[in-house]
Amino acid sequence: MELKMTLDCKGLSCPMPMMKVAKAMKDLKSGEMLEMFGTDPGTKTDLPNWCTKTGNEFMEMTDLDGGVTRMVVKKS
Amino acid sequence: MSESKEKNPLVQLFDTFFGKHWPVWVGGIVLGLLNILLFAIKSPWGASGGITNWGDNFYSLFGLFSEKGVTAISENNYGMLVLLIVLGSFAGALFSKEFAIRIPPKGEMIKGFLGGSLMAIGATVGIGCSIGSFFSGVPALSGGAIVFAIGLFIGVIVSLKYLLWEMEKFPGWSSGKSYNFLAAKPNKGNWQIIIGVIVLIAILLLSYSYSKDNMVMSWFIIISGLMGLISQRSRFCIVKSFRDPFMSGESEGAVGVIAGLAVSLIGFTVIKIFGIGAIGELSLRARELTWVFPHFWAKAAAGGFIFGLGMTIAGGCAVGTLWRMGEGQIKLWFSGLAMVLISPLSNKFLVPVVDNILPQSAKFRNYLPDYLGYDGAFALVLGILLLWYWFVKWNERTGRFSAF
Repeated sequence: MELKMTLDCKGLSCPMPMMKVAKAMKDLKSGEMLEMFGTDPGTKTDLPNWCTKTGNEFMEMTDLDGGVTRMVVKKS
Repeated sequence: MSESKEKNPLVQLFDTFFGKHWPVWVGGIVLGLLNILLFAIKSPWGASGGITNWGDNFYSLFGLFSEKGVTAISENNYGMLVLLIVLGSFAGALFSKEFAIRIPPKGEMIKGFLGGSLMAIGATVGIGCSIGSFFSGVPALSGGAIVFAIGLFIGVIVSLKYLLWEMEKFPGWSSGKSYNFLAAKPNKGNWQIIIGVIVLIAILLLSYSYSKDNMVMSWFIIISGLMGLISQRSRFCIVKSFRDPFMSGESEGAVGVIAGLAVSLIGFTVIKIFGIGAIGELSLRARELTWVFPHFWAKAAAGGFIFGLGMTIAGGCAVGTLWRMGEGQIKLWFSGLAMVLISPLSNKFLVPVVDNILPQSAKFRNYLPDYLGYDGAFALVLGILLLWYWFVKWNERTGRFSAF
């Protein structure tokens, strides 16, 4: 399934990445996916936890060069 | 043979500590225990006093606000504690290869400075920050600390509403160019571990340098370094504990803080009842009143509210600001800078005005055992912690009060 939205959260620290993801997810339909690029280490824990709580599916997490992490979430 | 069995046991131990983040409740419990140790050897954990000491030393370089004389940072337990929280977190971030200089968009740096300024005002008016007046004040059985916590709670709610409004109306304020330097490459970056070892050795040598003449400082350095490292690994943050139930609905941060408070409550009560550390001229009564500040109720309410506003805008409480500085978050460097610069100004110009306005009945030491006995005070604080735990767990399940 193709990605519906890309969020650039690089440079942002807690709580801004989570706030931006949660807001963006409201605009997605069930089954659609969002990718997020961030640099805050806390988001690596917070986003999977939030997905578990909300029932959204945490699809993937990849560490890239430059301390950037790419995370993909699928809306439930 | 599985991969984990092939690993050297020491490497496995290192991975346990630095391979992934710790659960916040583990961090909370260990921080609570270390806080008891600090109290046993002198006085509990606090941050704003040390930050003000940094500010006083800065202004004294220009001959400002130093009429009464300023204690050098190197001689001030809490001035050193602030430095060691940053260094301990720096070591923790390096060992886990999470260190990077993270420069956010401009709007975020402005919010960092603004949030830090509000925290400085809140901590000076309220006589203590999220650590001294809350994380240490509540288990110290201080009535003012409970009022400070209510103020924090209201401040966080108001500030969170603001952040949600800002994100809706002015999303550009938290967007724009950002930069990331010195980050470790995936599956590489062992240089960070080497620097981490150097930082750790430097902390140990610093502690050793005080061991002959100032054993209290020597242990303050070790314990506060550990506090910084543990806070970074568990991402322990007071603002998270107050904010997340009303933002994402998650309870993990709150449970971590509640666990730390519960552990400290037991240790602090024992220290106060038995007068542990009450030696020399320090009377038993003075030991009982340790970390019970003369701020009940109005100063605590106002200070807590302003501090709550600030820590939510900054995205880090007092300790959350310090350990995020250690992992290279430049937004929080702006918060820390504002706290250092504004605290002495607030002490000099704002606090005397507030003190003149408020009657004595709105700024006195309220020691709960004086009214309820030790049994009643202990039960009251434990009851509040259980109620808070029940609320965040119920809210996490129902999403009743969470924004998303």
